[in-house]
Amino acid sequence: MMHVAAVLLLVGALAVSGCASSAPVRPAARPFDDVRRLTVVVSGESQFAVLEHSAEPGRTFDQVLAWNPYGAVLKPIADIVHQVINWFVEIDRKADATAELRDVSPRALVARAFEETLLASGRFEEIRTLHREPVGDERDRSNVVVRLSVPAWGLVRVREAEPDLLSAFADVRAEMVARDTGVALWQDSEDVTGPERFPLKTFTGDRQLTRQQLLDVLERAGRRLANELLYAQRAGR
Amino acid sequence: MSARFRASSLLAIAAVVGLLGCSRSVTLDVRYPDAGVNRAMLASARPRRVDIRPLADRRADTARIGVQADGDKPIVTSRAVADIVREALVSEVQKNGHAVVADNAELVLAADVDEFWLDAVAAYASVHYVGKVALSVAVVDARTGETLVTRRYVGIRRQQAKRDDKHAGLEVMDTALSRALHDLATDVELAEAFGARLPRVRHI
Repeated sequence: MMHVAAVLLLVGALAVSGCASSAPVRPAARPFDDVRRLTVVVSGESQFAVLEHSAEPGRTFDQVLAWNPYGAVLKPIADIVHQVINWFVEIDRKADATAELRDVSPRALVARAFEETLLASGRFEEIRTLHREPVGDERDRSNVVVRLSVPAWGLVRVREAEPDLLSAFADVRAEMVARDTGVALWQDSEDVTGPERFPLKTFTGDRQLTRQQLLDVLERAGRRLANELLYAQRAGR
Repeated sequence: MSARFRASSLLAIAAVVGLLGCSRSVTLDVRYPDAGVNRAMLASARPRRVDIRPLADRRADTARIGVQADGDKPIVTSRAVADIVREALVSEVQKNGHAVVADNAELVLAADVDEFWLDAVAAYASVHYVGKVALSVAVVDARTGETLVTRRYVGIRRQQAKRDDKHAGLEVMDTALSRALHDLATDVELAEAFGARLPRVRHI
């Protein structure tokens, strides 16, 4: 009798576990799926740069050193000279390109586009942007914080041609953090590039165009970050 | 020397030349990762029956997607660019809860590939890759023929890599395609054309 009861119990347990294992597996909700109120904190320094990723004069140095018996010894020095020359060239071009940009705050522009895109999605009830960490009463309303930074922005060479073509760019980062635990819920880095391409002379010669291209790419960067956050959030629940 | 031997020699030479010709291009198997597709804004609309038409390839140069840095080797894709992009669109639309159908569709999604290009800019000790994917998308009411929305999506990826990195170009194009598709999947106007009613939140 005891054996029969044990067998029945075993069969029952197997049936129950069988049912449990055959239930459809639902993807686990991510910790930021239900976030509806957000505080965006803009942070960090933003460095303007004209990135040409030039092969010269380093390539010419290499060709000369290939015939020199002390080539291997002189190579590290040639590398440093290459970097220094390009650094000076960049400073010169940076001065030309930034003439009309003194009033532009890259972080503020990216944050505004980020906020507007998230609000337009209808997934968020409230988004506030602060230019410092929340303090006092602000902390109570800021359970989830997105720290947003723009480490670099400017112009970058995107095509080898005669002349070479450059685009505006912005490198942006965002990290969503649960403030009470300090746990990072979501993070993303985006290298954002303007779709239009112009020779360097066009950028340095037409400051209004340069300004517009840079403002556009910063806005694009904010939208890009927001789109990646929306894409990562689970929809349709 | 027999005629048969001469013919065999010519065939062998032709085969070698053919093989050399093949190796004069770099082939990338660009793909949209199906596993990474999420339900996004497009899932806000009720399930629709969507006919995704074959894509029109409007690129200026359809024979290649770029040229290698430090050389003239063309970069090509292992499959037709229009097919790669269409598969990505099908994947997004299906994952967002809609059915991709050939008959009795409610919506027609017509798309063009405007650009699908990988630039390789040779720097001193590295290569700077820039991949760009640009699409034009129109959503049409299948019953009335009315165009509900026309949108353009541009995905661009920049990446610096070592000169001997064999995978950077492919990664750059995969990411550029993903960015264009993520922008599409999170586009409020496209979701509304699919029938989504999204709450409007006031800017505080």
